[in-house]
Amino acid sequence: MTDMMKFSVPGKPEYVGTVRMAVSCLANSVGFDVEAIEDIKVAVSEACTNAVCHRSNDSGDYEVYCELSEDRLVISVVDKAGGYDPGAYSEPHLDCPKEGGLGIYIIKALMDEVEIFTEIGIGTRIQMVKYTR
Amino acid sequence: MTLQLQRSFDLEAGLWNITPEGEVDISTASMLRNVLDEAYRENKADIILHFDHLNYMDSTGLGVIIGAYGRMKESGNDIILKNPKENIKKLLRITNLDRLLCPELFE
Repeated sequence: MTDMMKFSVPGKPEYVGTVRMAVSCLANSVGFDVEAIEDIKVAVSEACTNAVCHRSNDSGDYEVYCELSEDRLVISVVDKAGGYDPGAYSEPHLDCPKEGGLGIYIIKALMDEVEIFTEIGIGTRIQMVKYTR
Repeated sequence: MTLQLQRSFDLEAGLWNITPEGEVDISTASMLRNVLDEAYRENKADIILHFDHLNYMDSTGLGVIIGAYGRMKESGNDIILKNPKENIKKLLRITNLDRLLCPELFE
């Protein structure tokens, strides 16, 4: 059985913390341990930060979908911010750190599975999976 | 989501002590950036960031610290994190910034 929760979020920085709190409550309620909850909090915040930073106007709402099933939590952050060229994204050089570009790298390090779907002119969907151990 | 920041200059040691309390994310990262910039403009010296009461930080905070680190290195100054919580240690570890920013983890 899968339960689904959806949030529609205004694309403003001040709501990223609200999403982080909500998703961490959800992860806690289904029995993830403290470390996994922290991983989920950071990954969700990074994905929301991406959606907020890449929106083209102030009205750019985005959606957060949380799918709960017996062995996993699947979180998708879906924006209509116009997408990006994945070919132009490069992994950050960790020997030579710079201010931006760490978000996706961190999401991939913290979650068990990550898929990014992006379409120029439309938007981006970051789908992340964490398995309950 | 709140962030409180305190800064004080230690005249004897010749360095800044800056203590953020709360959470650093996209909505509060600019506060951290402003305090780091203001302090460094006022006194070009090393900065110690005391993370004892910082409960959450993500790439937005790391970005601010990396930016400050880059500007300060040009003048030969350091920025050092002290006592980060486990979640922040993990973030430093996976981004390989632990050696650069938090040498106490390797002592």
